[in-house]
Amino acid sequence: MSGSGIDDVHALEPEDFIEEVHSFEHWFEAVEGYLKGLDHGHLPDVAEALLTAEERDRLIATFCSYAVAETAALEASSGLIAIAPNRHAKIFLSTQTVDEGRHVEVMLHRLRELGVPDPEAEVERRAGPSVRNLRKKILQLVEAHEWDAAIFAQNVALETMEYTVFRAHARTADPITRDLLERVLRDERRHIGFGENELGRRIREDKKRRLWLGTVKSELDSLVLQTFEEAMEEIGVPRWDRPSLGRDYLETVNRLGLV
Amino acid sequence: MTNFLDAYSIQYWLESCPQGYLMDTDYGHPADEKEPALVIEDPVLRDAAIRTTVQLVVGERCALASSSGLVGCAPDAPSQCFLATQTLDEARHVEVFTQRLYDLGVKKKELEDVIARYANPNLVKFAEILLEKVDKKDFVAGVVGQNVVLEGMAFSVFEMMETVNRDPNPKFAHTLTGTIADERRHVGFGENRIGSLIRQYPERKSEIEQMQKDMSYFMLATFADNFRSNEMQQEVEHARDELDAGARGDATWQGVNLAQAEPAEIEAVLSDTILKDFQARLGRIGLAYQTPAKPRVAA
Ligand SMILES: [Fe+2]
Ligand SMILES: [Fe+2]
Ligand SMILES: [Fe+2]
Ligand SMILES: [Fe+2]
Repeated sequence: MSGSGIDDVHALEPEDFIEEVHSFEHWFEAVEGYLKGLDHGHLPDVAEALLTAEERDRLIATFCSYAVAETAALEASSGLIAIAPNRHAKIFLSTQTVDEGRHVEVMLHRLRELGVPDPEAEVERRAGPSVRNLRKKILQLVEAHEWDAAIFAQNVALETMEYTVFRAHARTADPITRDLLERVLRDERRHIGFGENELGRRIREDKKRRLWLGTVKSELDSLVLQTFEEAMEEIGVPRWDRPSLGRDYLETVNRLGLV
Repeated sequence: MTNFLDAYSIQYWLESCPQGYLMDTDYGHPADEKEPALVIEDPVLRDAAIRTTVQLVVGERCALASSSGLVGCAPDAPSQCFLATQTLDEARHVEVFTQRLYDLGVKKKELEDVIARYANPNLVKFAEILLEKVDKKDFVAGVVGQNVVLEGMAFSVFEMMETVNRDPNPKFAHTLTGTIADERRHVGFGENRIGSLIRQYPERKSEIEQMQKDMSYFMLATFADNFRSNEMQQEVEHARDELDAGARGDATWQGVNLAQAEPAEIEAVLSDTILKDFQARLGRIGLAYQTPAKPRVAA
């Protein structure tokens, strides 16, 4: 945490590399640059844009759904610590738990900034049905102690979907929302990296695992796609301008050899 | 409640902990500090340091399992967010104490064997009682077991160890200072959050009080094993022979000079401090403290 070491990790032996990049020390060095001096996830001096009542309402609905996705990630990443196969994975997931907790916190606070008096009740009332179903599905896998399937559902499917949605949203968002999402995206990239790395290694070791994950993937596909479309609708991205979730998701799935 | 929980937010945690007292530390201490040569080179002292550190790793692994397990059953988002910070604090504690084992010469491949060999069975039982509540997703009992009993014990043990090590081993003392600051926050959350839940579910009281009694018994049994063992007697005498009075410094904690006291006296002041602290905290949250049975003297 003294700022040394982050550049030298690639010189390490593979086992030491994994230990290093999954450590608290590494996490802190990674986030230090973009989480300093913030006010609830965004720079304090960014002015609130003038939003019409409709734009504000749309943004509130969007953040309600985001909060559900982030709560899913918070509950899943913390729940996975108990079944993680080694200490490095436990420590990485602890860093992810705090990242996801931060996402929940800043998103609920964004709702407050947008004039919602009781953000948790608003989320309960307004979050979209698909994202709620996706949360349920992911938590079922965690509850069932399905390590590979739960890591796939959370760190690959959910995270890739969020990554694509947040990036598309940040492009057109008001300045505060953009700043907040861009900082969240940097965390999510790390989480996707862990998922790919962890599953990639385990799939290489075991072909049966790959087949099983292929089945999990096809079960999740439609739920992920529905959640994605629901989010695009809420943000108000016209159909012809929507980024291809398929492309980001398929690229990841391809790299894992799960098609 | 929202206002009080603001003090336990991730925002606050980021500013006060990683961007506060942990700045410019490596594994919890200034990067240029090392274990003293005497501890590394003297087999008796090194072995004692490894055995002690293993108990810390066992306790912190338990805290990591319980805090992460409680995130999913917390009743509101601010409590979930606090427990997320606690999860990472506990993971950091696991990491820094594991690193200390490596610094003391434990090989990475031997780590789990060393932990299995030295882990005190009574401490393991203490942890099991808590983790059983967490497995059942029992938030109220889990927070009392974790943030009042486990944390209360950790807080005093760390404070005492920090006092003993301040002069002879600044590296370890500094590692402990950071964990003490974390544990203080964890104890504070337990006390502040749980009172209203106890009022909401008064029917849970007797079961939770029994848990405190059982956990306290295994805590005392752990201390008894530790302080009354022949190894401990020999280690204390050996350490005092090796370190002159100047190097030991003034190690006064709770009115006892730890650099001179007999192990039995240290055990008594530690147990007494923790149990009194439990009694006060439990009283404040509306639970009646239960006196644990006295563990039998080891043969
Ligand atoms: Fe997230
Ligand atoms: Fe994430
Ligand atoms: Fe701890
Ligand atoms: Fe703690």
